[in-house]
Amino acid sequence: MSAGRTSPALLAAPSGVVYLVALVIPLVSVLVLSLQGFEFSRGILPRYDLANYADLFTDPLFEEALTRTFRIALITTAICVAIGVPEAWIIRRMSPRWRGLMLLLVVGPLLVSVVVRTFGWMVLLGTNGLINGALLAIGVPDAPFRMMFTEFAVILGLVHVMVPLVVLAVWASLGRLDPALSRAAESLGAGRFTIFRRIILPNIMPGVLGGALMVFCLSASAFATPAMLGGRRLKVVASMAYNEFLNTLNWPLGAAIATLLLATILAATLLWTRLVERRALRRLGGA
Amino acid sequence: MRPGYLVLDGVAKRYGPVTAVQGVSIEVARGEFLGLLGPSGCGKTTTLQMIAGFETPTEGRIVLDGQDLASTPPAKRGIGLVFQSYALFPHMTAAENVAFGLEMRRVPKAERARRVAEALDLVHLSHLADRFPRNMSGGQQQRVALARALVIEPQLLLLDEPLSNLDAKLREEMQVELRELQRRVGVTTILVTHDQQEAMALCDRVAVMQAGRVVQVDEPWRAYEVPADGFVADFLGRSNRLPARAADGMAEAAGQRFALPPDLAGARGEVMLTIRPERLRIGLEGAGTLPGRVHSRIFLGASWLYRVDTPLGPMMVTAQNTGAPPVEEGAPVSLGWDPHSLRQLETA
Repeated sequence: MSAGRTSPALLAAPSGVVYLVALVIPLVSVLVLSLQGFEFSRGILPRYDLANYADLFTDPLFEEALTRTFRIALITTAICVAIGVPEAWIIRRMSPRWRGLMLLLVVGPLLVSVVVRTFGWMVLLGTNGLINGALLAIGVPDAPFRMMFTEFAVILGLVHVMVPLVVLAVWASLGRLDPALSRAAESLGAGRFTIFRRIILPNIMPGVLGGALMVFCLSASAFATPAMLGGRRLKVVASMAYNEFLNTLNWPLGAAIATLLLATILAATLLWTRLVERRALRRLGGA
Repeated sequence: MRPGYLVLDGVAKRYGPVTAVQGVSIEVARGEFLGLLGPSGCGKTTTLQMIAGFETPTEGRIVLDGQDLASTPPAKRGIGLVFQSYALFPHMTAAENVAFGLEMRRVPKAERARRVAEALDLVHLSHLADRFPRNMSGGQQQRVALARALVIEPQLLLLDEPLSNLDAKLREEMQVELRELQRRVGVTTILVTHDQQEAMALCDRVAVMQAGRVVQVDEPWRAYEVPADGFVADFLGRSNRLPARAADGMAEAAGQRFALPPDLAGARGEVMLTIRPERLRIGLEGAGTLPGRVHSRIFLGASWLYRVDTPLGPMMVTAQNTGAPPVEEGAPVSLGWDPHSLRQLETA
């Protein structure tokens, strides 16, 4: 009607188009694809039903992969928070000269390609790898240990690259904190640990929770690291979908797996923001 | 001689080649309200940080109630601090903020509640006990910060530019309140400020600092009346300079002869005299000692501030607003004064 009403829509249109092309259309396509049938000799069948989902829900292999995916994601998230939050706090307290260097070291893993980084871990963790070689050399009993193709290896690889995300998220929260807060607490008689737990931590919760959520989502949907460090037998949901698409060529089943993964992560995220984040942020006047 | 409750003895702080504070020696009596006054970068905040324990002196001793503080960490000094930013804990209510220091001291819950209530009552905030800092005005946050510092019954209260984030009117109200509160509680207090008016209004004594050194420690009116040097004279209010030649109890400047006060009767040769703007009288042409012309005037409500161009340079004159029409800009005038208002600066 008037320019006042149409101009916001016009201004939003370019980004709307990007979202439509890059997100909505592919997602809807995957969703539609997941409803179709497949036969090895005939390819994708022109029928639409929930058969793929029914198959998956009764498939013990899928159930195992789904459980493993979320177990890995949860453990990775917990470790990343446990390491990343104190790490950010410690770096924050360093002198400005060291701070920049340390921050660069922390984001280091993000600057290395996932394949290179993971091959590095393979060199370290292999049965004939560096770590086992060292353990053998110093005569540790039971060495060498089997580390490659275990959940341990997958979690290690994921933690390595995810910790920077927590550090950066917490870093942003710390930057908004009045530096006088810890001095005020100190003058009132609080020790270092109490200051962190009672004063700093509650105030950086938005960063901690946001970082945790990011790590969780990325770990649950990670493909390359679990595929390379977990091997063929240690399947996660993402590598299952990959397998269906590229090896079995059962695209509809792969699409169904992908859809289920997306739905579970989305559900977990919503649950997280509802139950944890909102409660934690209420005190800070955020939610 | 004042008994030293807090003694700073030759305290210095150097950061590498940079000297922030040098040879600061001050004695503060129990219950006294001392102001550390100076422009930014003069070392007053560094001095405060050293008393609080957040900075370690490079030299000198800080003794509180007979005890050297050198080996006492900030958490154990029992010093109440109020920060410029208030530094209230954002995730705690006013009452929780005040209670924090008592919790750290393991005060039992019932006593804690009582003392928190008393402290909030002291700053007239009992009705806002359950409010979060973000929902309070600057003045209210200021009071919570004050209550939080006082509830631990500190040996010493340190105020770091506590009023500088408040608007002018509120600042004046808080000054009166702070002064009364300090008298009532009787806590030895050190105020760091760059606002000379604030220091003069609040403090029993002020220590004027410049470039890391204490230039003068005195009662505010004394420091104002008898400034140690030109810096203090200019920093505590405005002052005018009269370069003159002195002989036999008289001075001569710009062809005018005028009397010197008895304490300057012995002065000889070139002297630098100063006089406060409120001690100058602005009068009709020829009525006073020093001729001049009104350059500009500013209305301040209770008074007028004139800038008068004279042969000795521009002079500031404040004249009380008596309700009579002010002197026009550009008018020829004459400035007069009582000889007792003249001061001599040691260093010209």
